[in-house]
Amino acid sequence: MSDPLERVTNLLALLLETCVPLTITQISDRLAGHYPAKDAARRQTFERDKSLLRSEGVPIEQTVLGGDQAGQTGYWIDRDRYELGELGLEDDERAALQLAVATVQLGTEWGAQALWKLGGSGLSTRRELEASLPSLPVLPELAAALGERRVVRFGYRGSDRTLEPYSLLARHGWWYLIGLDRDRDELRTYRVDRMDGWVETTDDTFERPSDFDPREFLPADAKRQGEGEEYALVRVAAERCAHVESDLGAAAIVERDPDGSTVFRVPCTNPLSFRHWLIELLEHAEVIGPEPVRLDFVRWLEALV
Amino acid sequence: MASTRRGPTPAHERLRRLLVMLPWIMERQEVPVAEIAERFGISEQSVLADLERASMCGLPPFGPEDLIDLFVDDGVVYAGLPRIFTRPLRLSAPEGFALLTTGRAALQLPGADPDGALARALDKLAVKLGDVGVEIDLQRPATVDEIAEAVAGGHRLRIEYWSGRRDASTSREIDPLVVFVDRGFWYTLADDHLSGEERVFRIDRIERVERTGARFEGRDVVPPTETGWFAGDDLPRVALRLDPAQRWIVERYPADSVDTDESGAMLVTMPVTSEAWLARLLLRAGPTARVVAPAEFQTLASRTAARVLDVYRTD
Repeated sequence: MSDPLERVTNLLALLLETCVPLTITQISDRLAGHYPAKDAARRQTFERDKSLLRSEGVPIEQTVLGGDQAGQTGYWIDRDRYELGELGLEDDERAALQLAVATVQLGTEWGAQALWKLGGSGLSTRRELEASLPSLPVLPELAAALGERRVVRFGYRGSDRTLEPYSLLARHGWWYLIGLDRDRDELRTYRVDRMDGWVETTDDTFERPSDFDPREFLPADAKRQGEGEEYALVRVAAERCAHVESDLGAAAIVERDPDGSTVFRVPCTNPLSFRHWLIELLEHAEVIGPEPVRLDFVRWLEALV
Repeated sequence: MASTRRGPTPAHERLRRLLVMLPWIMERQEVPVAEIAERFGISEQSVLADLERASMCGLPPFGPEDLIDLFVDDGVVYAGLPRIFTRPLRLSAPEGFALLTTGRAALQLPGADPDGALARALDKLAVKLGDVGVEIDLQRPATVDEIAEAVAGGHRLRIEYWSGRRDASTSREIDPLVVFVDRGFWYTLADDHLSGEERVFRIDRIERVERTGARFEGRDVVPPTETGWFAGDDLPRVALRLDPAQRWIVERYPADSVDTDESGAMLVTMPVTSEAWLARLLLRAGPTARVVAPAEFQTLASRTAARVLDVYRTD
């Protein structure tokens, strides 16, 4: 048994240079003394090394062999897939990436590691702006599947889903996965933080409709989410009008009254989001109509008294 | 990559370093050890240890002509014939994802140029990484740009700020020090002349902004993380009994503890920023949510709902 770094480096060199796929037996024979002699221990050590290499971004190919090695798995590395290749980044482009990585916190070291491979290094200047986005372990795999147009399977609140992933969208502090649910044959949105923690990328591929727009499918205003287009009329007291106007836009104003209050036309396609929005304003807002929407809210409040 | 930890560096990190270092050295053919140490943010001893290890690696049968060809003489590393590890390793999936995500988010910050260097860099990356479909939507309120400019230029501002706790607006002067967006909400950390303290303000609650004409000297501040300033130890706590439909509460807000029983009901203890905040939360949660303790919050939902209902009864 040898030094782990030496072993992994030699394994990588072997797989890079080989012209044919190699089995674990062949690998451990050629790297004499690096791998344990006993079968189980050898396999375990090899699996750990393979895992380490893959998590660093090394693409290790595997295939089931035929002929006199029938049934055994052979491993190799495709050089073209291994190499970073020429990105052709100019100095100012590299610097811009460095600044982006310094400014936007993902809560992981991935961005810094990427920069390092590209030839940049960390920045430490006074920052006037900073952003933070949540990060989840399944995101890179979902993004990779998206890029390769491969169907994914994942657990969501205990049940398995099969999805053609069209888009990953980060908004309001959450990540959303939007795609075609194959079992239900309709477009669905999933909150990535609500997934059961595992994702499987299948070999099945798909075509994404060219006119698909994630921002149109999942409007930024939660009140607009859902089927159809519903609106309510809401009177807002003078002290909160400026806020509501900047939230909904001046186009939402129906009338300004002499007492200072303003009537707004507010989307309420999504009843839950609408109610949440309304509660923010407490007694400074009143639903005027339509009657069913007003009644719904009154009933909600009465149940709480 | 600068490593500030003490003790042995794990194998994966040393491997990562080697796979970037070796092609870099081979491309240059000869590099002083000091330069390598600086470029990679490690000590010269670490460089030598890594290269010594590398020079023992290569291909079977590991004869002299099969090994990685490097030698060090008088503080300079010389690369011989390049054999293996001559090309740098590609970005891993998490690394590519992080670069595209942070880059796209950065393009949505005030002052970003949609046709500038960052955009061009991201286009090149997207071609290489084959990405289409990761989108970042930071939902930036219009006032952010104005405040960001005030931060950059050191301009004192007068603002009308609506306080959630008091449910009323007050006018105050602030010296904004940094603008940050955290989990979808935009904030500015500023010196508040009304309270005399450093305060965090939600930008979407700033109802009017104007420059006073006065200037101030900016300084380095670290934006607080949400759990840091929201969940201070000195805040009062509430114990709530929630049903599964109210799970969004623990997803969105920090909690000290969440105990779930077999039916899915949750007993949650969480910090309370203000009574007004809790009142809104309880109204949103609905009648099935219960305040277990303290007693002073047990009638809060009922009292607040009654107050809002008055608006609907005086017609």
